[in-house]
Amino acid sequence: MKNYIVKDLMVPLSEYATVQEGSTLFEAVLALEKAQEEFDHTKYKHRGILILDQKNRVIGKLSHLHALRALEPKTDDDSGFKELEQFGFNDTFIRKLRKLRRQQSAPLEDLCRKAAELKVENFMHIAAEDEFIDHEATLDLAIHQLVQEKLLSLLVTRNGEIIGILRLADVFAAVYHTMKECTI
Amino acid sequence: MKSLKELFDRITQRVNINLRELKFDVNPFVKDLVPFHQLVKFYAFYGITPHHPLDFQFRHSNLAGSYFLGKCCTTNSILYKSDIRGDELKKKGDTCEFQGFKIPVSRDEAIRIEDSFLIKTLVHNFSHDPETLENFFIRNTVSTHYANIHGSPTDGSYLGPFATVDLTTMNDCVIGAFSYVQAGEISHLHIEPGTVWVRSPNNFNFLYRYPLNKLSHYIHFTAGAPPQGLLIDFVEDRKEAFQRVFETMNIDPSVTIPNNASLDRFAVIKPKTHISDNVLVAQRAFLQNSWMGKGANAQENCYIINSRLEGFNVTAHGAKIIEADLGQNVFVGFNSFLRGRPDCRLSIGKESIIMPHTIIDVKEPLSIPPGHLVWGLVTSPADLENNSIELKELTKISEGFSRGNMFFEGNGSSFVTAFRDRIHHILEANGALYDGVKNKGHAQKNQNISFNTIQPYPEGDLKGLYPTIIIRP
Repeated sequence: MKNYIVKDLMVPLSEYATVQEGSTLFEAVLALEKAQEEFDHTKYKHRGILILDQKNRVIGKLSHLHALRALEPKTDDDSGFKELEQFGFNDTFIRKLRKLRRQQSAPLEDLCRKAAELKVENFMHIAAEDEFIDHEATLDLAIHQLVQEKLLSLLVTRNGEIIGILRLADVFAAVYHTMKECTI
Repeated sequence: MKSLKELFDRITQRVNINLRELKFDVNPFVKDLVPFHQLVKFYAFYGITPHHPLDFQFRHSNLAGSYFLGKCCTTNSILYKSDIRGDELKKKGDTCEFQGFKIPVSRDEAIRIEDSFLIKTLVHNFSHDPETLENFFIRNTVSTHYANIHGSPTDGSYLGPFATVDLTTMNDCVIGAFSYVQAGEISHLHIEPGTVWVRSPNNFNFLYRYPLNKLSHYIHFTAGAPPQGLLIDFVEDRKEAFQRVFETMNIDPSVTIPNNASLDRFAVIKPKTHISDNVLVAQRAFLQNSWMGKGANAQENCYIINSRLEGFNVTAHGAKIIEADLGQNVFVGFNSFLRGRPDCRLSIGKESIIMPHTIIDVKEPLSIPPGHLVWGLVTSPADLENNSIELKELTKISEGFSRGNMFFEGNGSSFVTAFRDRIHHILEANGALYDGVKNKGHAQKNQNISFNTIQPYPEGDLKGLYPTIIIRP
């Protein structure tokens, strides 16, 4: 059975979809499409985009969910739903109100205009301490971090510099192969 | 004045310790808010009537310009121009009903204020906490201008200007300016300014948040400066009229008062005001060119100017009504500010409920139909549409709804019933329903109050502190 380490499984930064800070959501989506075309088609597709600063250092991550969230109308903040819980309102009541307000707000018909206006750094995810892993770390540790923090990927570092991304799909594939080897 | 300064430091320290979890420091808000020389300037006074217990204990406190009635104790506290009105406290032998229990009251209830600094604050009603039936306490608390602590035992808390805590036991909370909270029991909450929250667990939950940019025109309070805004200017503009009533020993009422009505000698009544039967006008109320119909009342810090109240109107503590016509049984909640203009009056149809801390400020005529609930900020007919509902429609709500910045969850009928019951209780307690024999209330019982004054040490280390005073029959 192979003893995987993180650098065996990660996608190197050069193969990943990246955009510079200041890019629009639309440019990020194009970068993702391009990366997918160039990527080895036998592997799982990319599902995120990394945001780089002027010195090409990773400063954030943009997943499908973040992109969709950016397109959502900002009714939550406006109508104070977030604070309703503090005032003892029931979860069911809050959920119903959210749906109702969403239905009443503008549809996504102006999607293209919106995508061209939104800057990635305004809605990207900034990785927390637990979302980094060293390239020499073992698969066990990577699994622990992904499961514990409920993450879809980890940023892989070497001497403090981000060199790649370790995706849940690739970790799962490695585990799957290991399982098969054990059975055989 | 050394002891007074030490007392101030001691109080703010104690409040801050309680509010440390919320990271709230009261010091910048209250330091120099009332200069120490002001605390020495005014006498305190207390009322004596045959209808209320006479039991006062003042220890190591400053009571400048404050008024006391009933059974009240202050210890290690500073009370500046506050009203401690103990005329609705429970009496020995009363029973308190709570969740099916009938709990007997074992001794007369007292308002006990300890280690607190209250500025122009009204304390009234009785403790609604079944755990402290005989003890309406206010401890380790700072409250600022025109706050109301109404039936709410309070510990370790801060109330901003024009904030109200009503029928709620409160521990370690910050209540922002112009916020109203009636929620039974709260702890460790930081309520932002302009929040109106009425909650009865398992029955209903009402929440409205003022847009802060609009509220600041009426009231805003930042550390290092006194409270500012239209509400403060409005009160300050009429301050002089009160100076006269507080400086004159014997003052004759300027209007005719029926023998079943009560006009407090510390209220200001300007010409052409009419007082009908069973009307109650409390101390620090201001009436000018207004008609008070039968059973109407004006409670502490109320201003009723160029207005007509048809009768059985409750104008709760701190409410202001200007250039308005109110039908019968209209309820105007705490600290509301209702202002029409001479050429565009505000009219409110009978049996409407104006929620506590509502601001209606119009520059075009506005007519609120009878039987409506109104809340929040209303400056136009469009706002009224967003901030009101017909009571009949509300009674049909079974799950909840939201309108504008307001959220309501629960049973609308329970909400309306709770309000109506309370309004009825207030009218009853105020003596609005007195028929010459039955239903005597404050309007009849508070007619003949004798007032005694007490003074602090005039100089030395103890300057500003009142000596220990115990007053009993």
